[in-house]
Amino acid sequence: MEASDLTDHISRRFNKDLEDLRNHVLAMGGLVEQQLSLAISAIVSGDSELGLKVAEDDYKVNEFEVSIDEECGRILATRAPAAGDLRLIVAIIKTITDLERIGDEAEKIGFLASKLAAMDRPSDSYRELKTLGHHVAHMVRDAMNAFARLDVEEAWEVVREDERVDEEYESIQRQCITFMMEDPRSIKRVMNVTWCARSLERIGDHAKNICEYVIYMVQGRDVRHTGVPEGTKSDS
Amino acid sequence: MSDAARKFVVGILLFLAAGTVVGWLYDRPVVGLMVAALLGLLWQVRQLLSFDRALRTGNFDDFRQGDGIWEQIFSRFQYENEKATRRKLGYRQLLREVRKSTNAMPDGAVILNSDNEIIASNRAAKQLAGIKRKKDRGQRVDNILRDPELTRLLHADDQSLTIEMVSPIDDGSWLNCRLVPYGGDQKLLLLRDVTERIRLSKMRRDFVANASHELRSPLTVIAGYLDSLADDDDMPADWSKPVAQMQAQAQRMRHILGEMLELSRLESAGTANADDAIDVSRLLEDARSAFEGHADVARILIDADPGAQLKGSAAEIETVIVNLLSNAIRFTPTDGEITLIWRADADGADLIVVDTGEGIDAEHIPRLTERFFRVDKGRARDKGGTGLGLAIVKHVLARYDAELSIDSEPDKGSEFRCHFPADRVVVTPPGSVS
Repeated sequence: MEASDLTDHISRRFNKDLEDLRNHVLAMGGLVEQQLSLAISAIVSGDSELGLKVAEDDYKVNEFEVSIDEECGRILATRAPAAGDLRLIVAIIKTITDLERIGDEAEKIGFLASKLAAMDRPSDSYRELKTLGHHVAHMVRDAMNAFARLDVEEAWEVVREDERVDEEYESIQRQCITFMMEDPRSIKRVMNVTWCARSLERIGDHAKNICEYVIYMVQGRDVRHTGVPEGTKSDS
Repeated sequence: MSDAARKFVVGILLFLAAGTVVGWLYDRPVVGLMVAALLGLLWQVRQLLSFDRALRTGNFDDFRQGDGIWEQIFSRFQYENEKATRRKLGYRQLLREVRKSTNAMPDGAVILNSDNEIIASNRAAKQLAGIKRKKDRGQRVDNILRDPELTRLLHADDQSLTIEMVSPIDDGSWLNCRLVPYGGDQKLLLLRDVTERIRLSKMRRDFVANASHELRSPLTVIAGYLDSLADDDDMPADWSKPVAQMQAQAQRMRHILGEMLELSRLESAGTANADDAIDVSRLLEDARSAFEGHADVARILIDADPGAQLKGSAAEIETVIVNLLSNAIRFTPTDGEITLIWRADADGADLIVVDTGEGIDAEHIPRLTERFFRVDKGRARDKGGTGLGLAIVKHVLARYDAELSIDSEPDKGSEFRCHFPADRVVVTPPGSVS
């Protein structure tokens, strides 16, 4: 009688531990989403102060990563989870690495924004970067939504979206090369734009990775480097 | 025992007696009794089976047979059944109406339990914030709306707190969020679309900033020509007074425009950085020496704690001091006294300006920090104020999470107190200050 009470108690504590862990990952995701959207608006509005603030605040994301990592280690050591629980922990350990990288890229973009703000602004005020940025920000948000709702369909959607981001990145790069050939004086500025676009594209990749972990977590199959299969619509 | 039940029992007994009598006529009373009992049993079984079918199909009319107790049982069941169905329909109707009305609400509403898990949400919550009614039930709301601001709102004790955040499904729109606790541990999260309001206030800010900026250049030209006119020796003597007045007014206008620009900058800036420690007592000394010695200036005393420093921007704190001090000078007669106080304690630091001037009526105090608000429409303008000083003070203080409180008594004097929170203050022990 007492023994069954005890196991019940332990597994409830375990459930709560896992639930807390998931909540922390999503809170970290929220912070990263905020950092990213602030970094993008720093570029678009040419706000150097905001850009520097984003770069400074990256430490908060890093702190999150360290504390969640510790928590995962503790759960692995004390509870020895199996099956779905184990997949959850493994997926979380990988997810936070990608989230932290997204934070780093946002930091970079914030820093570049403060540099770009000091230079001449083109007449379109970085419209392509804005479009790409919003596209990528949506991907990150959808990835976190898929994580929260364990929604495989939405995860596949993000994975497919990444191809479009890659195309957009290509076209920005071509455009930048044209600018540099036309006017060598603009090279310094356009190089920064290229770096921004590069960072945004990397963020898209990280969002895609997170979605692949979500699929792994829910279905237990590894879909990395396999391409988008046909008829993923039926998976859900 | 009811009438029908009594009839039923009597009927059965009579039937069995009749069977026995018929059997007795044939000299087999026991067989007669048995046959009667068997027939009675068959009849009851048949009624029981049709009752069972009626219950299962809900069709009582077709299976009702005979009268007496069975007919009554059938009627009672049919009545109860219909009543329950009607009640269920009524509830369903009511529920549909409630859901319809919550869905018609323009504001998003999400019901949360004590763990901030979503219990129910309406259609506007989906349109504004993408919360799905069925899929997200049981999810924690801060897992779906991950804005750190919302997390702050959920964990705040202050019920009047509202926050504004960008909608998670539409980057262009803003949501105002409020949390209303009700019934036990439940909470209602209200989401309202405030895009229009945010856009309007931004437009207003931009307008003020642009207008002041655009007005500056023509004013510079006018002031330039006025300066050269004033220096011109050929100018008729009776023109010199108007020109001097025009010069003074142009100067005043430039001053106002400068302050309006400063205000709109302060409004759009966030919290002040806390990198530099400012020596407030030094700033107070500087402010005193800038004003002292002029005509019509009352005596200025300083009571400052040199060990306490404030984290922030020196230029902004200087603006606060100069604005408060020049206000005090303006309303204090020459034989009066103005005291500047700077002191720190456990819950922060206070910058206080006390004067023995004419004071302010209590009814005017809440409006003092409005732009261009004047207690006495005619007088203050003659004394050279722009009407923006206290508004600037308020906005600077907001950047430091500081509070301005005003205490005043007519004809006795006023006290303007700026209270800074403790995390903005650095206290160095006396002795280590040079």
